[in-house]
Amino acid sequence: MQKITKSSTAEYFAKNLQQVGFSSSTKAVLTTLKESVDNSLDACEEAGIAPHIKVKIKKEGMGSSKNVDLISVVVEDNGPGLDEKNIAKVFGEYLASSKFGRGRCSRGQQGIGISAATTWAQLTQARGVHVSSKLKNSPKAFCVVVNMDIKNNKGVLKNKTSFHWEAKKQGLKVEFLVDGRVQLKGEGGLITYLEGTALVNPHLELEYELLDQPFRKIERVSNKVPKIPPSSLPHPHTMKLGDFLQHASFYASLSLKKFLKTAFSRITDKSISLMKEKGLTEGLLKKTVRSIGEKDYKHIFSLLYEIDFPKPSSQSVLAVGEEALAESINRLGDIDFFSVITRKPKVCDYKSVIVEVALARLNIKKKEEEGIQLLRFANRVPLQFDKASCAITKSVESVNWRAYGLSQSKKSLPLGPYVFAVSVTSPFIKFKNASKETIDASEELVEEIRLALMQAGQKLKKHIRKEKNTADLIRKKEYIEKFAPILIQKLKDITGASQKEIEGAQRGLYAILSKDTVKAEKALGDARQEVEKLKAKMGSRLTYKTDNEAV
Amino acid sequence: MKPFKEESLKKKTLKNRPKRDLLKDSQKLGKEMLKDLNQKKSPVLKAIKCSLDNSLYDSKKGYLVPKGKKVSSELNVSSVQKISRSLFLLDILLGNLKSGAVNTKRELYYISKGFMKSKTFYKPLDFEDQSDSDAIIDFICDMFEVYREEMNCFANDRGGQTYSKNLIVTEYLQKGEKAVIDLSSLGTTPFQPKNKPQQFELKAKKGRIDYCIVIESEGTANTLVSNGMTKRHNCIIVGAQGVPSNAVRGWCRTIQDQLNIPIFFYGDLDAYTLQNIYRTLKAGSASSLIRNSDFSAPNVHFLGVLPKDVEKYDLHCYEVSEKDVSESRSLKKAKDVLKNDPFFQSKKNKKLTQILKWLIKEKRRCEQQSVFSINPKNSKVLEEFLVEKIETNSYV
Repeated sequence: MQKITKSSTAEYFAKNLQQVGFSSSTKAVLTTLKESVDNSLDACEEAGIAPHIKVKIKKEGMGSSKNVDLISVVVEDNGPGLDEKNIAKVFGEYLASSKFGRGRCSRGQQGIGISAATTWAQLTQARGVHVSSKLKNSPKAFCVVVNMDIKNNKGVLKNKTSFHWEAKKQGLKVEFLVDGRVQLKGEGGLITYLEGTALVNPHLELEYELLDQPFRKIERVSNKVPKIPPSSLPHPHTMKLGDFLQHASFYASLSLKKFLKTAFSRITDKSISLMKEKGLTEGLLKKTVRSIGEKDYKHIFSLLYEIDFPKPSSQSVLAVGEEALAESINRLGDIDFFSVITRKPKVCDYKSVIVEVALARLNIKKKEEEGIQLLRFANRVPLQFDKASCAITKSVESVNWRAYGLSQSKKSLPLGPYVFAVSVTSPFIKFKNASKETIDASEELVEEIRLALMQAGQKLKKHIRKEKNTADLIRKKEYIEKFAPILIQKLKDITGASQKEIEGAQRGLYAILSKDTVKAEKALGDARQEVEKLKAKMGSRLTYKTDNEAV
Repeated sequence: MKPFKEESLKKKTLKNRPKRDLLKDSQKLGKEMLKDLNQKKSPVLKAIKCSLDNSLYDSKKGYLVPKGKKVSSELNVSSVQKISRSLFLLDILLGNLKSGAVNTKRELYYISKGFMKSKTFYKPLDFEDQSDSDAIIDFICDMFEVYREEMNCFANDRGGQTYSKNLIVTEYLQKGEKAVIDLSSLGTTPFQPKNKPQQFELKAKKGRIDYCIVIESEGTANTLVSNGMTKRHNCIIVGAQGVPSNAVRGWCRTIQDQLNIPIFFYGDLDAYTLQNIYRTLKAGSASSLIRNSDFSAPNVHFLGVLPKDVEKYDLHCYEVSEKDVSESRSLKKAKDVLKNDPFFQSKKNKKLTQILKWLIKEKRRCEQQSVFSINPKNSKVLEEFLVEKIETNSYV
């Protein structure tokens, strides 16, 4: 008989790094950067600090294998820093997380990402991550190399040294040396990631230096550090039987009635009465959770699904907010106009969700027939791969953008020099894979995103109408200048009319054609007024950076 | 061959058409426009609406005529380009009329392009492609209700390749000269009518010609001649080369009017052939409503392929799959034709309508060349098939 062996979590991930974002050399660099930045942002927000993150990515030489480079990824923050013990856990141990299962809208959840980055560094360069940390009120900082003991899923610290970190009150700096390739632009590009992160994190101040690209600093546009709302109790309909049994074990000493009322949201005396009507006995309700047998648990669990509970609370969801998003969107580049929408929290698939949309028209010479740039976010983290099957993409494709003045082929992304940013925040985002690249497209979620997009589209339409009217007026004026002289000349050639007749006709022709431009000017005036009204209504949330008064 | 009863027709050619003074009419139009402009009134140009929804099938005349709708172009910013282009091309056409010069539509396109490319003043008028200038020429003709040919403009016509051993065509040229063409001297090379086929004079070399067959495929028409059909039969064979051009339609009309012989059409058994090819030949088209009286041959009969031929000769035909985009389009076309085409809605054409219904019901189509498969060893198989059908009155 063959011997059955047991492997550690780290061993599993070390063999399956492709599942967590290390499936190619370009993705490896992006994922390393992404996990480091996400951790910094989460740490700063937890500590109530406005994040200031510095990123430096350099090509150090040839990688250890063919066709890859040796890349250094350095991310430094101004967060609370980490002590030795936690550094070993965070960077060297899988599934060691302060956030797992807490039902909060933090970026990281399971404690896999950054450990996977350490594993990648160790597998490709035989060295883990170099971490420098300075805790608040600590006179000295220290730096250490974290390696991973893959066999035992443990972080091993090496070469610890103390040092004076000039002008640094607190913070953490991570330095990875990995095999990889750098892609700057496009859907999987580092710049796309960094700009996207800045967009949905208005409180972030970001500096970055990527390869030979010039240094760039993105200033923060909001000093308000988002407070991640506390988690709420689980809704009875969000659990499977196994989850239910495990959840019950935390409340072993309580009576079943008390357990149901205190350990879940939305279970009230009224709902317990309804359960009683369906067969839940008073005797069972009085029993302690500990003493209830498996058969009864199954019975209680099935009864829970027979009751229509109110939908779960949406208090635990965090939004960027229209105002902050409006400020932030101007950091994307030269924006002509934009519209932002933050929907009210909504329950989709028994999970609270907030959808936010920012649609911006860029002042760039992008061809009208080129597709829009779609930026997808889940819990304020850019999603950069597997766009086609994502709930956000499906929602954008399902909207008829032609009704809002954009070009679009049926059931595809619209066209034009626009950026569509769609952010979904929820304590329980259902991703399609462990590397969190795509949001599962449930009908309810797609519909909610679609509604947000349509609301934003309505606002955008007013701007586009104004633009079209402006273009129309220009065209009409051009037409008069171009064609009127030809028309008069040809009438003269055909009829041989006198100069006097021709001059009279010329005056008449200009008078007739001008009538149309007066109409066009009026239409443009009306459109402008509508936009002004919208601007007044939205206040600072809707602004023009430049107002093209071309006429 | 059985004697063929055909209603007698009064000879009618373009020569009989009332002469219009287009120079004068154009001047009048220009002056009216100038008058309106002087009074700060928008001039309006009106033209016959040439579309199926403005078509009426006149069963007595046998072709499509306009119902009476007109398209109006009132001068404003949106129409100033079209009206300027119309006046520009009208000026060129009037120049041709004055000098007696003729041009094809394509030549007019390039002449205009030359002006527009070399003279900045005319640059705004520039045509994107020939269809732009063709549309303006059609608009001018529809406005004056004249034929393009009367404006000394001819299409780059195709089709109409004609073969016969008993036909003599006389063409009257400028300055009273004439050219006499004896088609029997051309061997398997066709005579191809161009420009104003209605101005030709036709006569049989000897006696009376029995009939004329217009074949949808020019290649098949040539095959029949190569195999000796015109040697064995006192007939005319014409290759339509697909949808009949103005020249083909005018030419068939001339054959019908001057020789007073039965004319048959032979083509595929499908909705496209029935509407776009056969109907256009017999009753004209919606886009040339003002010219159908001279550019259609109402006496032409549909010789086949008929549904009964498919059964009688067990012809190879194939299923039209509704899943295939192009094939299902053919079925849709048949349904649309029944619903919208006034020609097929007329009781007079009930038998043709039945063919369309058969096509929809059976979901099948049959190519004109399928007859060759009846007996591949017999080079005269199509000839025999056609002659048998004519002799047994097996046509619609």
